[in-house]
Parts: sequence; C-alpha cells; structure tokens
Amino acid sequence: MDRHRNKATVLSIISMGLGQIYNCQFIKGILYLLVEAAGIFYFSSTLGRALWGITTLGETARHKVHGKFVNGDHSIYLLVQSLITLIFLAIFILIYVINVRDARKTAAEREKGIPPHNFKRSLRYLMDYKFAQAFLALPAVGILFFTIMPIIFMILLAFTNYSSPDHIPPAKLVDWVGFQTFRDLVALKSWSHTFFGVLIWTIIWAVLSTVTTYFGGLLVALLINQQGIKFKGFWRTILIIPYAIPQLISLLVMRNMFNGQFGPINQYLGYFGLKGLPWLTDPFWAKVTVIVVNMWVGIPVSMILIMGVLTTIPRDMYEAAEVDGATGFQKFRIVTLPMILFSTAPTLIMQFAGNINNFNAIFLLTNGNPVVGDYQYAGATDLLVTWLYKLTLDQNKYNMASAVGIIIFLIIASFSIYNYRRTKSFKEEDMIQ
Amino acid sequence: MKMKKFMVTLAALTLAVSVTACGSGNNGGNAAANNGGNAANESAANASADNSGGGAAIAPEDGAQLLVWESKEERAYTEEIAKQFTDKYGVPVKIEEVSPADQVTKLTQDGPSGLAADVVVFPHDNLGRAVEAGLLLENDDFAEETTNNNTEVSIQAVTYDGVLYGYPRSAETYALYYNKDLVKEAPKTFDDVIAFGKTFTDKSKNRYGIMWETGNMYFNYPFIATTGGYIFGSNGTDKNDIGINNAGAIEGLKTYVALKEVLPVKSGDINPDIKRSLFNSGDVAMDINGPWELAGYKEALGDKLGIAPIPSIGGKPAISFSGIKAWYVNSFTQYPNAAKLFAEFATTKDAQLILNEKVGSVPTNKEALESDQIKNDPYVSAFAEQTQNSQPMPSIAEMGNVWSPVNAALPEIWDNGKDPQQAMDKAAQQIKDLNNGSGQ
Repeated sequence: MDRHRNKATVLSIISMGLGQIYNCQFIKGILYLLVEAAGIFYFSSTLGRALWGITTLGETARHKVHGKFVNGDHSIYLLVQSLITLIFLAIFILIYVINVRDARKTAAEREKGIPPHNFKRSLRYLMDYKFAQAFLALPAVGILFFTIMPIIFMILLAFTNYSSPDHIPPAKLVDWVGFQTFRDLVALKSWSHTFFGVLIWTIIWAVLSTVTTYFGGLLVALLINQQGIKFKGFWRTILIIPYAIPQLISLLVMRNMFNGQFGPINQYLGYFGLKGLPWLTDPFWAKVTVIVVNMWVGIPVSMILIMGVLTTIPRDMYEAAEVDGATGFQKFRIVTLPMILFSTAPTLIMQFAGNINNFNAIFLLTNGNPVVGDYQYAGATDLLVTWLYKLTLDQNKYNMASAVGIIIFLIIASFSIYNYRRTKSFKEEDMIQ
Repeated sequence: MKMKKFMVTLAALTLAVSVTACGSGNNGGNAAANNGGNAANESAANASADNSGGGAAIAPEDGAQLLVWESKEERAYTEEIAKQFTDKYGVPVKIEEVSPADQVTKLTQDGPSGLAADVVVFPHDNLGRAVEAGLLLENDDFAEETTNNNTEVSIQAVTYDGVLYGYPRSAETYALYYNKDLVKEAPKTFDDVIAFGKTFTDKSKNRYGIMWETGNMYFNYPFIATTGGYIFGSNGTDKNDIGINNAGAIEGLKTYVALKEVLPVKSGDINPDIKRSLFNSGDVAMDINGPWELAGYKEALGDKLGIAPIPSIGGKPAISFSGIKAWYVNSFTQYPNAAKLFAEFATTKDAQLILNEKVGSVPTNKEALESDQIKNDPYVSAFAEQTQNSQPMPSIAEMGNVWSPVNAALPEIWDNGKDPQQAMDKAAQQIKDLNNGSGQ
C-alpha cells in the first residue's frame, strides 16, 4: 500500500513540487516549482564562481595594462560574495528537504484515506500549527545575513594571510593559510611575546577592575545606607556624577590631569613637597592609573545596583540577628553580603566579561601607552581588544586581528559560561546556605 | 560649436596658468597670458601644438564631482582652491578632514569600495606603500609642467620607480623656533642649547630652555643622521641596509642623551598641545617644530618669534627629515580627468602661495620660491634654509615598518636611560623582522 508514498517522494526528489502536484496539491506544487526555477536560474550563474572563489580566493590581482588599471579579483569581496551564495544554497537545500518530506507525508496520509489538503487548508494548517516557524522565518533569514554571515566571514579571515603589506587587495591576492596565523601567534617569538604579555595584563586588569569597582561600590552603598548618615540624597548625587559624564570627555580630561610633568595632580602633590609619580609614562604606574581611574568611572554603577539590592533585604532578618546579639560586622557578613552576592553574581560576571573588553577605559586614557620596546605594536597597558584595534586600523594585519579576536571570544565565552553555571542564582537555589 | 569654443578657452586658460611650463620658447603662450585670453583662438592653436601632452588635452568629465581629503590645519587653503576650481570648471568639490599620515591607510580600505576621495594628500614617505598597493594614478597629463615648475628634490620625492605620481605642493621640514625675549641669539650648536638651558630650565616652575617631541623619530632624525646614521642605505632605497644603529647614529644620540639635562621630562608627558601652550606663554624658550605651527606662534608671540636652522651636532650642520606633501589621484576615481585637473590646479604657483599665506608652508614651485612673498618672509626663508640641509624621508614601502620600533626605542633611551646602542640594535632588528615578513 505504499505506492503513493514512494512515487511522491521520488517525484519530489526529481524536482520540487512534482510530488505535491502528484498529490493533487496544485498551487503548492506550482509554488515549489517556482522556487526551484528561481534557484536554478540563480545558481547556474553564481554557484560555480562561488565555489571557485571560496577555494582560490581569486587568481588575478588588479594590474596595469598599458598604464591603465584593469580590475582583477578582489579576494575579500570574492570571499563575501561566495559566502552569500553558499548561504543561499543552504537555504535552498533546506527548502528542498522540506518539500520532499511534505510530499511523502501527504502521500502517506492519502494511503490512509485522508484526502490531501487544498491550498486554503494548507495555509490554515501553517497558521495554526506552524505559526511560530512561519512568523520567525523572515527574521531568521535577516539574522543569517546580517549577523551570522559577517561572523563567519571574520572567523574565516584568521585562516587567510590578509595582512599588510603583501596581501592587501586589490593589488595583491589573499590566500588560505590554514592555522598558520595561530601558529605564528603562539610560536613566533615576536608575536607570542606580545600576545602573552598582553593576555596576562588583560586578565589581571579584568580581575582587578571588576573587584575594585564592585567592592568600592559596595562600600559606598553601605556607607550611604548607614543609619545616622545625613544628606543621603546629596552623597548619592555626588557619587553618581562620574557616571553621568560621558567617558569620552572625562577620560580625556583625566589624561591631561595625570600628565607626569604638567598635570594638575602632580603639581598639587608638588605643593606638599611630594615628588609626583610618572602616572602615564611608567609601565607599572600607568597600570595603576588605569585601575584607579576606572574605579572612579565604575564605582557609581555598582553603587546604584547594590543600593537597589539593599532595599530588598527584609528588615526582620536584621531584627532577628540583633535579637541573637549579632555585631554590626556579623550582620554584614551573615545577612547583607550573601544577599547582595546572591542577587548580583550574574551582573558581576557580566562586568568581568565587559572589562576584558573595556576598550574605552584604556584607549581614551593611555591609548595603550607607554610603549614597550619589544612588543609588536602594543604598549604596556594595551588590552587584547585595543591591541586588536591597533593591528586592524594602524597596521592592517587583519588575519592576526581576527585570530586574536577569536581567542578573546573563546576566553570570554568559556569564563562566562563556566562561572555563570556555578552561580547559585543559576542553580535557582532560593535558600542561601 | 559651443563645446569647441569652451575647449579653446579652456586651453588658453590652462596655458595661462601653466605658462611657466612652456619655458621661453613659447611666445604664443605668453601672449595668451598677457592678453588675458583675448587672443585665445590663435594661441590655443599654438598651445596644443607646442604643448602636446600638456594640460590642454583634458577636460573634466561630464557630471564630475570631486571629494578631496585634507588635514584640519590646512583646510583653509583647500577651501579657497576648491572655490576657485569650481568657479573655473564648474566641478563641485567636497572636502573631508583626514590626517595626511592616515590617508594611505584609509585609501587602502576605502579605495576599492569606492568611498575614498578622488584626490588625496600625504607626505611622500607613504608613496611606496600606496604605489605597491596600486592606489594611485600616474601624473601623466601634467608631467611636464610638474617637472619643470617644481624643485628637483620635490620631484624626486614624488617619483617612485622612475614614475612620477605626485603633484608637489609644499616642502616640510622642521627648524628651531625661539623666543627672542628669552634667547638673545639663536644657538649655533646643541652645546649652546645646553649652556642656555642650564640657566633657564627650572623643573619646579615648568620652565624649559628647549622642548620638542623626544619620543617621535621624525623630530629626532638629526640626532641619527647628522653624524652619519641613516634609515635605509643607498638614499633610502635599500631595505636591507639599516643605519639607525651604526657608529654615526650612536655618536649623534650622545647629544640627544645630553639634552635630557635641560629637558628633564618624560617623553610621554610632552605632547604638541602642552608644548604649544608653554611656548606661547614664554615658559619654553625653544621648540623644534614644523611650519604648521607658524601661524599660531606668530599670533601668540608676534615680533618676539624667531626661527633658525637646527643647531649643529658634533660640529656638523644638523640634517633634518624633509617631507614633500603632494596631491595624488586615487586610481579608483570615477573622474580621473577632473581629479588630475584639480591636483594640478591646486599646485600651481598661485595655489602654493595661497597655501603659504594661509598656513605658512614652504613652496616647491620654483617661481613661488623666488617670489617676494616668500623672499621677504624671514620665517619661511628660515625653513627653506633648513630644507637645503635636509634628507627626504625614504619612500619605499618598508618605511612603514620603521616608525613603531624607533618610536618605542627613543622613549626607552630618553625615559629609562637605556643604552642607545642596545635600544637601536633592538629597533633595527625589529625593522628587519618586519621587512622579512615575520611580522605577518
């Protein structure tokens, strides 16, 4: 009794829509046939070039003939165009599979004696049972082309030699080099020294900047919330101001304030007969400076957050603690701190991940300087992300930048996922141990 | 008919502008210039005959419009030129601000995608990179005028592999600005500078005898080159012969180190803004700087401002870096003719004099250099004098690998007292590595 089923399947495999027509679903069948026709029309002209493009990345660069430039293959454009074609191909194959499965399913129902849906009923079925998929199909395609495709493109760059001076299109071609870029990054001394140096500082920075701003904010929030503190609103306002000024302005002002010779801070210290510090010119002190300035910028954020949490702690817990004869510090250790940590742990991890990539704080304040003689295009306070910026915009080493970018992503993703899964709020334990 | 007449007038006008190119043998051209184009018909005929390959041959494309990149400091001149150009050719010109040092990098990106300017300007040390990347059109239609009208040094600087690319507009080097109230006469040697600095420098009051960007290779080249160092050998063309760490360079760097006594400031703390304000307020007596600061300094100091050549080093007159700033035509431009016309139009004698008037540059046009406007300007002639004793920056593509390592080595010597030989050896090694592509 499976005559229908196999026939419909085979027909649909031969061409989209034939199986549907065999099942007497004419409109659906014709629609599928149209998709097939459009696909064949589009792929016949592009697919060959796309496959050639993504494997070779072009064969002739732009060159001069009799003093006139003749356009050749632009490897990077080729790569993008090929990617777009291949994504279309994937969508096409997906539709093909859906069409075969649909034909087979309808035919199977016919064998059981259920008449095939007419077009109206098919639409009804789609709207009733497959509403979410139908509704999300368009945004999904958008995400595919505007989010996923660029990410794939950027990841692919790490496996090419797209870099200045010898592989910048259109005058030169770009080639696939496999994992060579990653190998250079960890094995070539000039690169690896910089990479590990910058990586270690990035981790130190992320930990220190997160811890200092978080606990600084906690301290300030607790102080303001103490009973008997007057003008609470005033203190809050004062402390929120740094957060309200755009970082672009405040950090560039700080940059001048911390100037070792002409900055107001060292001049001020000079009035007290103290020798100023080389705030931005000494590798160690520059690191201290960015941490300190980042505290000034970041503490208000944690403060607001923690103030909000403090209001949610039930009063009766403190009362119970007082009845038990707890000291102020014990109340803090046993009631306040766990409650705060419990509600803010996810934000803390978010802040940590954000600090790994805190571009503004470094770029605006020190621009990664002071320079370090044996680094490749990096300075003592450069984070991976600002180094990446320099590699891309100043040096055109796109492949290296892409490799560094992938590594940053892996670090942040693994950190965040691991930590997040271990937080109590993720495990949804509503009892604090 | 109308078109023909237009072309003829155009030819005459172009000729009038580029009259100098015809040399002495072209009476027709001179006549056209003198008669203000009344004799256009006849002289234009002569012009195309005499001036084959001259500017008469090209006209802007229909519907052409140009985008031009220019620095913030020199924008005033380009705006003026753009206005005149639009009046003359009817081609609208838009200006975008891009720092000249970044233009080649930006052109590499934006050129192929069609977003770049049609006409760009950059110092010639970037020329090799740009040509290697196929970003520039040759200066072919106006080659004759350009070559005849500009100084030989400037033509060499904008030529790469024997092909002329640029339309030179100004020669840049740096000299010693000094405040006549504080410095009685311009120091002849750096020993004089140190002697004066000892009497004037007072770190607690932030007064310094001299200040310059000690971490920037551009301004510190005299300490390398005067006593026999160099960047690349064979006049800056041999990438394998690096001379920043030879005996001569180390000799000159001794003077550099000695100057720390009168400028006890970390290189990272000196930036152009701070330096400018201190010099303007009379707290810094001398500044090694380029002509782009001239207009501002003149305004601040008036008659007190003096300019002298850079003091001698090791008994030899200091050799500075010179850069030729020139216009170039983007090879991806949709309107090559209009772009070439603009580049030519913006580098004529008159245009260079406008640039000098607005910014205080040193022209490359021979006639402009001879004009009263330049001759009678003590400041510009001081720069011109220093230019006589300067070396053009190398323009090979590898020049792009030199800045970072040397700009990292100089602060190590200046701030941390590192041995110049060691620091420069390391920088030279890094440049070699980058040249050989291990930096890829």
